[in-house]
Amino acid sequence: MLAQVLFSGLALGSIYGLVALGFAVVFKATEVFNFAQGMFVVCGAYLAITGISLLNLPFPLAMLFMVLAAALLGVLIHMFLIQPVAGQPMLVVIMLTIALSIVLRAAIEIIFGSQGRTLNTPLPSGVFKIGELRISQLHLTAALVSWGCMAVFGTFFRFTSVGLLMRATADGHEAAVVSGVNVNMMNRLAWAIGVVLAAVGGLFLGQLQIASTELETIGLLALPAVVIGGMQSIPGAIVGGLLVGLIEQLAASYISPKSSDIVIYALLLLILMVRPWGLFGQRELGRV
Amino acid sequence: MKTFSRNPGASVLHSLLSHARLAAIAGASLAAASGMAQEVPEDGVYKDRIDWGILMDLSGPTSASQAPWVKGFQDYMRKINEAGGINGRKVNVLAEDNRFNAATDKIAYEKLVSQTPVIAISGMGSSASQVALAPTIKAGKVPIVGTYTPTKALSEPVSPMVYNGFCGYKQMAQAGIGFYVDQLKLKAPKVMTVSIETAGGKEYHDFVAEAVAKYGGTATSVTMKVTAVDVTPQVQEIMAQKPDFITIYGVNNTAVLTMKALAQFGVKMPAFGITYLGSPAVYQALGAQGSADYNFISCFTPGGSDQSVGNREMSAAADKFGRVGLKEDINYVSGWVTGQMAAESLAKLGNSPTRAKLVESMAKGFTVDSKGLAAPFSYTPDNHNGPTVLKMFGYDHATSKFKHFGDYGDYAKYTK
Repeated sequence: MLAQVLFSGLALGSIYGLVALGFAVVFKATEVFNFAQGMFVVCGAYLAITGISLLNLPFPLAMLFMVLAAALLGVLIHMFLIQPVAGQPMLVVIMLTIALSIVLRAAIEIIFGSQGRTLNTPLPSGVFKIGELRISQLHLTAALVSWGCMAVFGTFFRFTSVGLLMRATADGHEAAVVSGVNVNMMNRLAWAIGVVLAAVGGLFLGQLQIASTELETIGLLALPAVVIGGMQSIPGAIVGGLLVGLIEQLAASYISPKSSDIVIYALLLLILMVRPWGLFGQRELGRV
Repeated sequence: MKTFSRNPGASVLHSLLSHARLAAIAGASLAAASGMAQEVPEDGVYKDRIDWGILMDLSGPTSASQAPWVKGFQDYMRKINEAGGINGRKVNVLAEDNRFNAATDKIAYEKLVSQTPVIAISGMGSSASQVALAPTIKAGKVPIVGTYTPTKALSEPVSPMVYNGFCGYKQMAQAGIGFYVDQLKLKAPKVMTVSIETAGGKEYHDFVAEAVAKYGGTATSVTMKVTAVDVTPQVQEIMAQKPDFITIYGVNNTAVLTMKALAQFGVKMPAFGITYLGSPAVYQALGAQGSADYNFISCFTPGGSDQSVGNREMSAAADKFGRVGLKEDINYVSGWVTGQMAAESLAKLGNSPTRAKLVESMAKGFTVDSKGLAAPFSYTPDNHNGPTVLKMFGYDHATSKFKHFGDYGDYAKYTK
């Protein structure tokens, strides 16, 4: 039983990690604590439904549509909502993302109705056995795609010139501006990546569950994940996501489903008290 | 060609007299009308309309099942309004979204009682809210006509302020357990309840345990979060307990996740969901293979699944109002029947309805005959249970229609 629970926890945690990675990329680049990240997960599920069921696109094209539409959404949000409030106190930006989340939810419910929708994809849904362990092909696919996305974006940030510019912008806006970096372009790219990662998470969560605006609650588990892992840390977001997934499944198995919230947020409180910069974050030092 | 009156003065006088006569008739009509259509704004009663409240989850975790109910209720009232309303007044439905949150429900309830007053409230789809608001409702002046979920806290003891409008958990458990014990020819059955963590889930399991005990069997339960994504721990527990069959309480997602996970682990397990889980969306999400062992117990007949008068009327209205995809949803049917119950209760009040008159009228007892959408059900001064006769339904993927397991009458023995 333990192995089974660990596997499902890791698979689920991989999706949380993916969404959390999107959150961390946006926070690192623009210092926006984005409460709309959970709703971007919902957007991803509904964009997939639009591509597959409404536009009747072949699955690969539907996925391309989902990714491009999510990226465009990220760019537009940055252009019209985030950039105009640049330099405002953090509370303003936080309130903006909360309002954005509410608007997106209402828009989705108006367009698609408040009823959940079935997301049917050709992704494998069978099971294979390794000894006593039964592995869901969908869970495995979700985990592999999540890890693939993490690897791609990790490589992008580390080894490409645009990734380097994005990291430079994130580390010091003024220095980047002085060096001639198009900071707004880098920030838009960060938002596009953040929304795309959440959308991919939404694709899997929508298939594992039913696509509905309630996926937001699940997507918001990315928040404790990034706080635990470290707000500024890309690997921290991934590890945080995995931890949240594992804790959720273990607590549900050995204590009770409701206790998983207690354990996750108790860990979050502990981290905030003992190591507020997270497991993988770096303590900010100021000279006086 | 111009015409001239030979006596202009007489003509003016005639004209004045005729205007005066018309004014007198209009005045008398207005006076009569105002006498007929008495306004009681504090009860949500106006000259041309009556406000009726709904408290349901329209955008929260249970909106997938509760929103169709609201649409069913609204559509019944729309049909009534298009036919001229009730005793000359239109019924204006004020639907408040509680987002499945007891605190929001409390605020919305107070709003419907005093800020935008309504004559009565229907729905109350959150069991937690019912438990929290039960004392206030019973001591208040606004009757709850047709609850969407029946809880002991609100329903017992019988109160003139509360009328259940949905199949009771007790009857769901009794009829479902009885049906499966007979079908599987079980003695001392082992049954497991899979439920979301709510007050209603606990209550439903208690009724399951009670029903199973009658057959000398045992019942256990496993719970999950309403927003669960993975139910591996729960299915592991089911595999460890090895029940003869399971019964599922929750939202659409609860049934979908459970049945999918059982299939993932290669467990072939007969299962039945509570009435709320009788949604085409559940069957579509599971597919033919995944839903082969899944049925649901219901006191309402899905739209389009038979040719009863009530079903044909509802289906025609649903098609007309653009609810083609919703009419098969058991929740829509339930909302429709509750709408009928509300409209008939109002019609009995004549031209001067008030909250007090509604309470007084309903307390005497009444019967709701939906002409086939449910077995006729009656309320007496001592019994406000509402629909108590249920039967099992499944889904035929080949025809995309719900299938019936027998008639309502076949199941009466389980709920006696």
